[in-house]
Amino acid sequence: MSLSIALTKGRLEKKTIEMLDQVGYGTQNLKTKGRTLVFEDTLKPVQYFLAKSNDVLTYVDHGVADIGIVGKDTLMERGSTAYELLDLEIGKCRFCVASLPEKKLLKKTGHIKIGTKYPRVAREYFLKQGIDVEVIKIEGSVELAPILGLADGIVDIVETGTTLKENGLVLLDTVCDISARVIVNKASYKLKREEVLQFVQDLESVVKLRADKNR
Amino acid sequence: MSQIRLPLGMRDLVFEEARKKRQLQERIETIFHSYGYQEVIAPTIEFLETYQKAFSSLKDQQMYKFFDAAGNTLALRMDMTVPIARICASKYKDEEGPFRFCYCANVFKVRESFAGKRSEVTDCGVELIGLDEQSDLEVISCALDTMKSFGIADYTLEIGNSSFFKKACILLNLSNDVAEKLAQLVDQKSMVDLKEYLVSLDLSQKQEEFFLKLPLLNGKNVLKDALTISFDDSLKAIVQKLQDLKENLKALGYEDNITFDLGKVPHLDYYTGILFEGYVHGVGTSVLSGGRYDHLLSIFGKDLPAVGFSIKLDYLLDVIDQKPEKILYLYYPVERQIEAFEKARELRKEQRVKLIPYNGENIMIQEGTQ
Repeated sequence: MSLSIALTKGRLEKKTIEMLDQVGYGTQNLKTKGRTLVFEDTLKPVQYFLAKSNDVLTYVDHGVADIGIVGKDTLMERGSTAYELLDLEIGKCRFCVASLPEKKLLKKTGHIKIGTKYPRVAREYFLKQGIDVEVIKIEGSVELAPILGLADGIVDIVETGTTLKENGLVLLDTVCDISARVIVNKASYKLKREEVLQFVQDLESVVKLRADKNR
Repeated sequence: MSQIRLPLGMRDLVFEEARKKRQLQERIETIFHSYGYQEVIAPTIEFLETYQKAFSSLKDQQMYKFFDAAGNTLALRMDMTVPIARICASKYKDEEGPFRFCYCANVFKVRESFAGKRSEVTDCGVELIGLDEQSDLEVISCALDTMKSFGIADYTLEIGNSSFFKKACILLNLSNDVAEKLAQLVDQKSMVDLKEYLVSLDLSQKQEEFFLKLPLLNGKNVLKDALTISFDDSLKAIVQKLQDLKENLKALGYEDNITFDLGKVPHLDYYTGILFEGYVHGVGTSVLSGGRYDHLLSIFGKDLPAVGFSIKLDYLLDVIDQKPEKILYLYYPVERQIEAFEKARELRKEQRVKLIPYNGENIMIQEGTQ
């Protein structure tokens, strides 16, 4: 039975394809994509399509895709019924809390407002710290919110911290690390077990190989 | 603007969609009845409290709630198992059993916006109340026969036993909070987070390995591996019981359609023994689910073991075939209406007849389907 795999467009796309290449998948069609949306593997009975991270989750949850490759950030924010079988250790970054230096966010008494693209992650983090905050959903450039006074602090994805620094924000805490994960639809796992496990094992071998190299 | 919208997650089914669903329901009910299960019809509305008692971790934001005149909170039923437990404990409180109940009823759950999920689905299921785990085989056979009746070649029933996980937690003195968190990670097969969490628990290497292997203990021949990681005789006994069940199912010819998953541990506070889920090719979620819930009846005051399963009919509609139904089309000119109607009445004793007025002279009968 052939597998249908949803890949996250953009930042993860190239790195994922590199990994697939390394274990003998035929990803030529993915590299020379024009306007097509679905790509056949040239070597194995696998079909790929590219989607936005949130849509990868939706496709996998509905079983339209058997397997998805998606960032932990999206998984945490959206929640999913899919199995999360492997950490690809690519697209590494972290969820962080930041604010203007004078704010003393985590010690502030009184009403706290947090701007974020990830309301669920933000709320859960602060609840765990025993702090009740008001979360304000922001769609882009979250750093603006504290600068303009809309929020006291932010929860956002940080890769290097440069953007934060350039905007005069300080890093207060790391919520958790993030990287790309392999998720599998539950029904696909039961009905296409061997194919699914083979795919996961293939990628796992790349992860191990890379880890050994870096040792 | 005319009001034509449906509330979120609701669907209309018309003509062949409705027919398909009805035919499927009939096939399923035939099998339930052939096992001697008898139908129960329960009200659509229950007190919210009934569900709060039944499920200690009820997500009541998932229920449709409203009030009666006295200010009680009511809810649309979210399953039929709880109403049947209530019925069995009250209507049959002085009888011993065993009881074999079946039902086909619509159940309701509030779904998140725009996720393409249904808020109202038809649930068809059986509950066998009053027999211990010896009866697991009967209910699983019934589930497998029912799945076969769908007419889908590729299907599988996956069997697990929540006691395996629970027993291990008890043996290791894990607190309820830890056990619940672990169960969630194991059930979701979140291998990455599970590994991290286990490190924080300070278990021995062997114990850590037990929980790490658990999510991957699935497939046709995993019971041997399950024995290997069992660190106590009581765990081995649970695996042995699954092995016996497997042998029995094999002897009955069901072998090709069963697999096992020891890492299946949903709803820890509800299931007390075996649990199983059915999957068919083309549907991205389980279409059948069930298990043993020996504690539920006692909540309603009658301490009896119970096991059951249910099928979500609506999930199957996209993947099953429907049989077109034969019908006669009777064309008639308006001036010969009475004659045509009498003719139709005669024909209806044996067949379906659709009356169609037309501009011809003769009464014409054509065979057709719909």
